[in-house]
Amino acid sequence: MITVNHLYKSFGDHDVLVDINEHIAPGEKVVIIGPSGSGKSTFLRCMNLLEQPTSGQIIFDGVDITQKGVDINEIRRHMGMVFQHFNLFPHLSITENLTLAPIKLKLMCREEANEEAMRLLNLVNLSEKADAYPGQLSGGQKQRIAIVRSLMMKPKMMLFDEPTSALDPEMVGEVLGVMKDLANDGMTMAVVTHEMGFAREVATRVLFMDEGVIMEQGTPEQIFNDPQNERTKEFLSKVL
Amino acid sequence: MSALDELKQKIIFVFIEDQRYMYIIKGLRTTIIVTLLALLLGLVIGILVAVVRTAHDQMDKKGLTGLPGLIMNILNAICRVYLTVIRGTPAMVQLLLMYFVFLASSTNKVLVAVLTFGINSGAYVAEIFRSGIMSIDKGQMEAGRSLGLGYAMTMQQIILPQAIKNVLPALVNEMITLLKETSICGYIGLNEMTRGGDIIRGITFEALLPLLVVAAIYLAIVMFFTWIMGKLERRLRESDNR
Repeated sequence: MITVNHLYKSFGDHDVLVDINEHIAPGEKVVIIGPSGSGKSTFLRCMNLLEQPTSGQIIFDGVDITQKGVDINEIRRHMGMVFQHFNLFPHLSITENLTLAPIKLKLMCREEANEEAMRLLNLVNLSEKADAYPGQLSGGQKQRIAIVRSLMMKPKMMLFDEPTSALDPEMVGEVLGVMKDLANDGMTMAVVTHEMGFAREVATRVLFMDEGVIMEQGTPEQIFNDPQNERTKEFLSKVL
Repeated sequence: MSALDELKQKIIFVFIEDQRYMYIIKGLRTTIIVTLLALLLGLVIGILVAVVRTAHDQMDKKGLTGLPGLIMNILNAICRVYLTVIRGTPAMVQLLLMYFVFLASSTNKVLVAVLTFGINSGAYVAEIFRSGIMSIDKGQMEAGRSLGLGYAMTMQQIILPQAIKNVLPALVNEMITLLKETSICGYIGLNEMTRGGDIIRGITFEALLPLLVVAAIYLAIVMFFTWIMGKLERRLRESDNR
């Protein structure tokens, strides 16, 4: 699905990512963990070029998207992204939030888009909020809407950038629930999170990042029950 | 003759005789036409300049190079010169330059005034819009782009609607300034309202009454806009809580 070769990213003198090489196969659910400042969010954001890599290759669906002349807008349609702070459009109703991109990009007509929006809202039990505005929703509801907004584009892969970090604790469950459903439906996912329970339960693979490098990776059992790297052990001892 | 009768006689002499009030009525019409058209022109210029300036600044961070980078740099440089020159010189001088130099061949004084004030106002509107665009969280742009919308589309559909809402009070303020500033059009012989009052003063040798009336009309218009602005702000605050 996506292959990353020799990815480097620096902000000024500061090297955030150092020679990342990674392959995510279709259907995989890769969870990226690590201390703050380890570069995991930057890594995720490089995958859809919200962050421009300093050097390296990112091959998505057979296309090297770091090449000049690649239509990045077209590529991004197939990679949904969910943000820590939801980033819903506050001036638009929930339905408009969901249908704006599909309609403006002429992927669906308005009726189709509204229908699809309703179908997805039903799946996350938020159909009664169709005409509400983001300001009227709780954090958990906003994040579920944000996930649905990405799904409207029928993406092949979903990127989650700390989707539950800005939520009150009692709302984390409802968002993780939607993400689990998505995982069970076979969606390819890359998730940066501090929710170790989610990583253990849903991940097919866990990456531990620190100082811009993937220090260790493996199945959740390997990483959580038998970490090899000293850094991984230290990190897990703090968060578990 | 009582003081009241005297005043009445004066009013008749100053305004009614020879229909002199028409100087003010016609002047008011010109003032409003110039203000509205200049405002429209200023809005168009302002949005364009603001978008170029912010696009350039955001691009600078990403380090865009090659031809698109060069074009943006040139556009940005033009915008900066425009902002510096227009905001750094008096509107009065700009008006005289426009009338006697740049558009010396034109006999349409309304056109000269509209262009001058439109270009002048555009510089201020641009900075108002730029601050509005910068006040929008960068996550909004990222969310739009991550859905596959282009930069221009995201700007138009997501950023600008929110930015305009945020800067509406400042824009009304700019409109009020513009309205009052058009009073210098008399210097190029355009019969707007201030000049209308001044012409009556010249004919009747009465300064107080005509100028007082002119002042009162400006005040009334400005108070009307302020009232509208107050209503608008309340409406906007309501929709923020929705």
